[in-house]
Amino acid sequence: MKKVLALMLAAVMALGLCACGSGSDEKANEIKIGGIGPLTGQYANYGLSVQHGAEIAIKEINEAGGMNGMQIVFSMQDSQGDPEAAVSAYGKLIDWGMNASIGTVLSGEMASVVNASANDNMFMISASASADKCLEGSSNAFRICFYDSYQGIAAANYVAENLPGKKVAVFYQSDLDYSAGLYESFAAECKVKGIEIVDVQSFLSTDTDYTAQINALVDSQAEIIFLPIYAAEASVFLTQAKNGTASAVFAEGTYFFGADGLDGILTKVSNASEANNVLMLTPFAGESSSDAKVSGFVKKYKEAYGAAPDQFAADGYDAIYAIKAAVEKAGYTKAADIKGEGLSAALVQVSLEGVTGDMKWQANGNTDKSAMAIIYKDGNGTVFGE
Amino acid sequence: MAKKLKTVHKDLLTLAILAALYAVLAVLLYSGAMSRQLMNMLIPVSMYVVMAVSLNLVVGLLGELSLGHAGFMSLGLFSGCLLSLFLNGQVPEIVRIPLSMLAGGLVAAIGGLIVGLPALRLRGDYLAIVTLACCEIIKSVITNLNFTGGALGLNTAPVYTNAKHLLPYAAVLVLITALVMMNLKRSKQGRAIMSIRDNRIAAESVGINVTYYKLAVFVLAAFFAGAAGALYGHCFANVKAVSFDYNVSIEILVIVVLGGMGSIGGSVVAAIVLRTLPEMLREFQNFRMLVYAIVLILVMLATNNPRLKQFFAGLHPGTLWKKWKAGRIKEKEAGSHE
Amino acid sequence: MSIFLRTFISGLNLGSIYALIALGYSMVYGIAKMLNFAHGDIIMIGAYTGIVAVMNLHLPPVVALIVSVIVCAGLGMLIETLAYKPLRQAPSLSVLITAIGVSYFLQNLALLIFGSEQKAYPQMSGLGSFTILDVKVDGITVMTLAVTAVIMIGLTLFINGTRMGKAMRAVSEDRGAAELMGISVNKTILITFAIGSGLAAIASAFYGMTYVYIKPTTGSMPGIKAFTAAVFGGIGSLPGAMLGGILLGLIEQFAKAYISTQWSDAIVFAVLILVLIVRPTGLLGKKSTEKV
Repeated sequence: MKKVLALMLAAVMALGLCACGSGSDEKANEIKIGGIGPLTGQYANYGLSVQHGAEIAIKEINEAGGMNGMQIVFSMQDSQGDPEAAVSAYGKLIDWGMNASIGTVLSGEMASVVNASANDNMFMISASASADKCLEGSSNAFRICFYDSYQGIAAANYVAENLPGKKVAVFYQSDLDYSAGLYESFAAECKVKGIEIVDVQSFLSTDTDYTAQINALVDSQAEIIFLPIYAAEASVFLTQAKNGTASAVFAEGTYFFGADGLDGILTKVSNASEANNVLMLTPFAGESSSDAKVSGFVKKYKEAYGAAPDQFAADGYDAIYAIKAAVEKAGYTKAADIKGEGLSAALVQVSLEGVTGDMKWQANGNTDKSAMAIIYKDGNGTVFGE
Repeated sequence: MAKKLKTVHKDLLTLAILAALYAVLAVLLYSGAMSRQLMNMLIPVSMYVVMAVSLNLVVGLLGELSLGHAGFMSLGLFSGCLLSLFLNGQVPEIVRIPLSMLAGGLVAAIGGLIVGLPALRLRGDYLAIVTLACCEIIKSVITNLNFTGGALGLNTAPVYTNAKHLLPYAAVLVLITALVMMNLKRSKQGRAIMSIRDNRIAAESVGINVTYYKLAVFVLAAFFAGAAGALYGHCFANVKAVSFDYNVSIEILVIVVLGGMGSIGGSVVAAIVLRTLPEMLREFQNFRMLVYAIVLILVMLATNNPRLKQFFAGLHPGTLWKKWKAGRIKEKEAGSHE
Repeated sequence: MSIFLRTFISGLNLGSIYALIALGYSMVYGIAKMLNFAHGDIIMIGAYTGIVAVMNLHLPPVVALIVSVIVCAGLGMLIETLAYKPLRQAPSLSVLITAIGVSYFLQNLALLIFGSEQKAYPQMSGLGSFTILDVKVDGITVMTLAVTAVIMIGLTLFINGTRMGKAMRAVSEDRGAAELMGISVNKTILITFAIGSGLAAIASAFYGMTYVYIKPTTGSMPGIKAFTAAVFGGIGSLPGAMLGGILLGLIEQFAKAYISTQWSDAIVFAVLILVLIVRPTGLLGKKSTEKV
């Protein structure tokens, strides 16, 4: 049935795909920056945050005269969190004439896109792809965020130094790469540091009820619950732990300790007091920060999008400024001259004071920056230990 | 006899169109005229063609609803890619990739046999939920194993290659799958399978071995899904079992139903159209999946509308061929009268 | 013992939510003979309606629930009229695909309207909890179970005792023959959808009160679990749907507490397969004899 019509349709589509490759005349000196991430589907909030953060940075830069005089044109493509769509979107951006990229939002997409870009000499700096190995495959791939095993190790070190002798338990998402990666490196480092992990509980993306796990964690009498998970799931956990159907409640003073994934927890929980005693290591302090640069970004973001920026947004913002720093260091003034190698060579020489901290990059794409520990109490975050 | 010849003609025509399509794509790809977007989509879409044609065997020919096809794809992907990673550097690509596809297919076929067993006792929605359950179990097992990379995903970057390397394998797999399905449909075995679909008890009463054919269908469909999965894995640098959940099975089912039950050409076209549609809709930005849903609903309503159905039937190559021939005969007759 | 008891209670809690969702699902399933993949998404819409009614319109919870039931019932009837009714003569799989399309549509619509950030469902205070042998039992658990049982009994009475119910059974049995007997098939199915979607709204309220957070994709997992529960219990059987839902919740929580949290999904599905192999038409399903 309807074969011929559909074949014609397919042919037209294929032609359409070919045609859009050649277009785009270079009359204005514009630098085209592309990004890929989930803008629809279940991970949409991460992609939209990165997009919004990047757009704030682009507006600032364009208003101040652009990157070395080049105005930025930005295109964020939807991937729905699916590597297949991400790789297609990458092709679309190449056809569009992208000069530099803020990579993809999720690690799984990043690995495939990085490999697809290997022969393109394309500079990529991902805001938030944190899996250890996702930058392998291209020497021009970098990231703003920490990598997973670094965070796991940093978390274990933090416990060893600041909360010694306390019993630790872990609650992680066993089918999520970020969570499993953090948990594995945390557990390995705990062994090295002699920290006892008294219980490990996990959940799946399909779970809605954490009662069984909460009961077991309470039984373990742990004083620190390590939560290497995202804020959305953490808020479900905290709500169920404090006033859900679990039979037992955590002892007063139990720390819920997490990494950058917990960022934005205050805006996620139904009641700010549920986030009491949440302690997290994060490079981005958001509204708790006293830094003028950070609070300026937070203010602009709130005006534009009506909500406080999370760390994904801050990473997106910094990714654009990292490209700017590299372009300026390399001295490119024409978009057509931009080469991935040139930007990469420039980036490893610069240091950037971003909203997620002061950054320098290594040749392998990872960044050196410090994390601070923030603890929440009744809706306010303060730097822990001060 | 005449009827059989006609279906042979129709099948040959479909195969010829398919081969021509790949020839055109190959010319575009190797001459560099192809857009990057299309190049990156080439192999995944081709693999969805194989997935859809093989699922059509279960759904269209055998008449059983399967919601677990993604599970076979996943089984084939992981076993095939693991083999490919193991052989990488030891044997040339031209041996390694077909071997990994074969291995993926065989492992998936074993999975198909296991899933097929409950299918002997269950029917309809009860079977559908069991296939869905099997798909979810496969997902759980692969996610919890160590050598498959677990939740972090299998790092397939060492065997990653682009469409320029993979297109020949993809084209061959698509053509073989289509050829096997077409032959099967026309064969004695195919008629036996369809008779089970139309009336199981009647089929049994004339001595058709229902058990054998049901299992054979599940195994064969799983084999092709597994081979497709293995090749699919080669165009990504990191693959996770969690990506192959029931939603993927449903997407493949959508292709099969849209293309028409039992219609191989239909599955091919529907796979191409449905997999490129979200890419075509990128202009709509954040509205694109909403538009996709609306298009899907409208297409289902339109294709089930009797009047539109007739219109489309008139455009079928077989019908056009008939019309053209009838016209020639008329011309000839007119000529001979002169 | 206390571990066993508290796992049992938490399983009942989860299971009663599954059961409540499965009831509405199973009803549409049994009568309209279609897998309504959009049922879970109607639950999601119901939950968002509840949030808007309480948070933005400041309606009292009970009024909000009524509004949400009306919105969902209307939505169900709208979907049935626009998307499913034109396909009455089409193969059942075409209807299934359309339902999937509707599901995508509702999810993406919610994403555009409400954004992807989760929203908290308004919590009803004052339900409290009590303890049995040191195990806390939440008021909401008891209430969900009670409401599920009442709805199950009410629906059974409605279907077996009223004229409309009789029409529904007739349509379920043989659409053509029902039509010949003067039953309006379209009207009957429309009402079935209205009731099924209204039940989805009630389920959404209990889901929201128990699990608090609502996202555009909230409906997809409960939808698939309800399908599983309905098949587990036997297609078209309302007591079966309730039993299937509760058992599903219990198996899930026991698997987590005693075996493994990582494998809990696989264990639930493995038990499901085993049960179906032993009883091919579900726990309480009717065994139909096949004729040539």
